[in-house]
Amino acid sequence: MDLSQYAELFLAESREHLSACNQLLLEWERSPANSTPVGGLFRAVHTVKGMAATMGYARVTDLAHRAENLLDLLRRGGRPATDELLQLLFRARDALEQAVELSVVGREDEIDVAEVVADLDGAAARLGRGGDVGAGMGAHAMPVSETAPDVEMPVVAGRLVQVTLRAEAPLKGGRALLAIKKAQRVGPVHAVTPPESAFESDEFDGRFSFRIGGAAGAAEIEGAVRSAGDVEHVTVGGEERRTAPAAGAPPSAAETKSRHIRVDLGRLDGLMDLIGELVTVRGRLNELAAYARDPVIDDVAIQVSRLSRELQAEIIQARMTPVWQVFDRFPRLVRDLARELGKQVAFRVEGKEIELDRAILDELGDPLLHLLRNAVDHGIEPLAERRRLGKKAEGEIVLTAVRERGSVAISVSDDGRGIDRKRILERAKRDGVVDPHAEALTDDQLLRVLARPGFSTAEAVTSVSGRGVGIDVAVTRIRALGGTIEIRSAEGKGTTFIMRLPVTLAIVRALIAGVGAERYALPLTYVAETVEFGVQATTIVEGREAIVLRDRVVPLVHLRRLLGVSGEAPKRCPIIVLEMGERRSGIVVDGMLGQQEIVVKGFDAPQGTLPVFSGATIMGDGVPALILDAGGLL
Amino acid sequence: MSHTVLVCDDAIFMRTMISDILAQAGFEVVGEAETGSQAVEKYRQLKPDLVTMDIVMPDMGGIDAVREIVKHDPDAKILMCSAMGQQALVVEAIQAGAKDFVVKPFQPSRVLEAVQRVLG
Repeated sequence: MDLSQYAELFLAESREHLSACNQLLLEWERSPANSTPVGGLFRAVHTVKGMAATMGYARVTDLAHRAENLLDLLRRGGRPATDELLQLLFRARDALEQAVELSVVGREDEIDVAEVVADLDGAAARLGRGGDVGAGMGAHAMPVSETAPDVEMPVVAGRLVQVTLRAEAPLKGGRALLAIKKAQRVGPVHAVTPPESAFESDEFDGRFSFRIGGAAGAAEIEGAVRSAGDVEHVTVGGEERRTAPAAGAPPSAAETKSRHIRVDLGRLDGLMDLIGELVTVRGRLNELAAYARDPVIDDVAIQVSRLSRELQAEIIQARMTPVWQVFDRFPRLVRDLARELGKQVAFRVEGKEIELDRAILDELGDPLLHLLRNAVDHGIEPLAERRRLGKKAEGEIVLTAVRERGSVAISVSDDGRGIDRKRILERAKRDGVVDPHAEALTDDQLLRVLARPGFSTAEAVTSVSGRGVGIDVAVTRIRALGGTIEIRSAEGKGTTFIMRLPVTLAIVRALIAGVGAERYALPLTYVAETVEFGVQATTIVEGREAIVLRDRVVPLVHLRRLLGVSGEAPKRCPIIVLEMGERRSGIVVDGMLGQQEIVVKGFDAPQGTLPVFSGATIMGDGVPALILDAGGLL
Repeated sequence: MSHTVLVCDDAIFMRTMISDILAQAGFEVVGEAETGSQAVEKYRQLKPDLVTMDIVMPDMGGIDAVREIVKHDPDAKILMCSAMGQQALVVEAIQAGAKDFVVKPFQPSRVLEAVQRVLG
């Protein structure tokens, strides 16, 4: 059998289990006396072992087996965690991760786990039994397969059932338990992950899985689980048992097939491009229909519009991914950094279930990593300093995702020392970034200074954040995604970075504005309202022309002047008011040409182009138009 | 014939509200209880088709009442009325034998959905 087609699935599922291991180890570290995480760890490592064995990755299997031995002893003994044990288990998890990644790309030979294997065996031996408890045939001993004599096969497992509860469901733990009770009516349930004890915690996020034995079909199992209520998703996998099929009718295809498939992201991108072209053609059809005034054409145009809109919504939905897929690796990372730096940090993640376009989410990992590193390294003060200041010994870092109107706001917040504005101001003056007579930096100016490539906020160069670089990387990346970034920092109290990102990159609703003979698209995400120039009184505030709108000053940007378009502007023209967090700006254009959906195309700006365009699009009539970047205009 | 219901809650307000929601949907509220021990007693007398049970009540709590009732009638259909933050208690109630739960503040549609699940 050609196993290579399963490699990707193996990798994805192993990563999930190894990520769960991190969470479980962190949980155990927080409350060492509570040994429930050990059961989860055991099961996760056990599953990885079974999968690796099936794939024929002998080294991964061996390593997982040693780790499992130790975990089994710990699980049975109900021992509390010690620092030494935790360090070893963290190391083993990391080694396992590396081994998995290398095996999948065919570099199994490079895996060197001798040291960690020796330590695992040593620890297991010290716990009072021989190194290899697998040979002792406990409850979890495994039959040895005939086809691959050196490799163990997974324990008889039954079907894997994965359940996601509705995000809005209250008391998800109770609901999960009900679902399991319902499932028990159609077959024996075991290997509940997370363990049932986790259901009592408010941290439980509504995702759980279990294995179910017996003869019930997929539809019956799904029906039973759904009858618990508040169930969003159920996936019933095929039988994982790897023994010869029993005599009799093979299970029907409908029963063994999962209702989910994994799709290459490239395919989704391809689909999105096609739909983008469809949207463009739809625009042209609508214009023709409006021009032709023929009810038959009108009718077709309306139907095409509706269908393509639905298709577009479906495909965008298919691209949506919850942020935990990227966020889940951060708790471990923050813990390791804090440990390395001798700091105590409590790290919280909120809004894990918020969804973003996969393409955006994939780009967020690095910027968030930089910001979190900065928070641990430069934000949170050393223990002694916190004590002296009368702060809690444990610093706090919070990573939050919140859905706003057309965007998702992600913030990284710490309760550390805040940014030393005086020092940055001095530096900014030296570098000529601000007026030499400036007395203070606003949050906006602060960000502008920090975002300069290579600007250092660090007093000492540490191995963690290097030279304080990172903020420029984060700012550039977020802007490239059509997002914005803000900073709020209070000395002695902490720093918060807030990033706002569009929910999807591919298609956005935009205002079409005319300036001279050209049309420009302005994504609606950041458009607050439009008012009229020439009717609204203008004033001068801090040397800039501005209007006052409901007691707030809105500085104006004349697009015509900014773009160097010759000719006379109309006397009365629209002002598009952009709003991004606390910042506002009014963009004066010649005229408004309506709203429409535009397909965003990447755009390599020629050198020297004003940094106010984020991309280009093709209008319904086939003429290209540039997309204005709200972030650049503010 | 309509289903009979016993409503258990120490707050008159909650009892009234639940009774109204159920009565409007065609259920017959045959009794009310203010404490866990009253709930157990009235369950024996009335043999209702459905019980709504508050978790926190004086005298005997809702979870203990569930245990008592289920001891004598394993098929008793009990719907727990819980509040946000009572995750652990809800889990305990289900382990004790409650069949479903709703969370305050109540939305009539969600209460009725849960009732249908319990009776269905």
